[in-house]
Amino acid sequence: MLCARECPDWCIEIDSHTEEEPAAGRRPRTRHVLDRFAIDYALCMYCGICIEVCPFDALSWSPELVAPAAGVTGLILERDQLGVFVTGS
Amino acid sequence: MTGHERAEALAAALPGASLTTSFGEATVDVPADAWRDALRLARDDHRLGYLDWLSAYEDTDAVLVVVCHLVALEPVEHLLVRTRVDAVPPSLPSAVAVFRGADWHEREAAEMFGLTFTGHPAPGPLLLPAGFEGHPLRKGFVLAARAARPWPGAKEPGESGPAVRRRRTLPPGVPAAGRWRPADQDGEQP
Repeated sequence: MLCARECPDWCIEIDSHTEEEPAAGRRPRTRHVLDRFAIDYALCMYCGICIEVCPFDALSWSPELVAPAAGVTGLILERDQLGVFVTGS
Repeated sequence: MTGHERAEALAAALPGASLTTSFGEATVDVPADAWRDALRLARDDHRLGYLDWLSAYEDTDAVLVVVCHLVALEPVEHLLVRTRVDAVPPSLPSAVAVFRGADWHEREAAEMFGLTFTGHPAPGPLLLPAGFEGHPLRKGFVLAARAARPWPGAKEPGESGPAVRRRRTLPPGVPAAGRWRPADQDGEQP
């Protein structure tokens, strides 16, 4: 959430929900489940604030370039499209 | 004929035109109905055959003003030709018949200010995406992306969809709701 909060351009969108794991003998353990992680590369300024601020180092720079798209909405990359940058393939 | 003499001759040849000079640059103000004639006269009689740019701005009394920068080549001389668009809804004859290069300049001015250039061969948005509402360069246009769109950082881990309105968190640097006005007449700053 810190990346979405600190991004100066509001280009990171995160949706998540909580799930409960029932356990005997104690209250259910809640777990956050990520639903949607999207970066709007039409807005991204490549400032790197999201990478700096993540306490879990989940974001990193990638030498890959964002693919051109037919329209402005085509530059909003969802989690699967962002996975391409992580693996580098 | 020097650049300034050229501007004076142009202003004299057009009824209702006036000339002002600022920082060495001459500006000829013409009435809106003489707009196309003024450009044609500048191009044909005064060697100002190169249209550098055509744009608009919104004056303090919310009247749109269209400005055109013309250049004479060899030797280079500049001239600004300006007109106030008093028509409601604002419209001006297109300059494309005089300068083909004004085509895209007029399309951009039209979408940014809500102007209509009558006689434009292919009007339509140039830079704004399809479905964009409003005219971004008018002074009354708020940066709606910040006012209307919910801040993605307002969601806590475990939330999705629009942020819950328990606690109206504002992103840093965004003024509180109701403060999106430009400075008022009495100098009050937002």
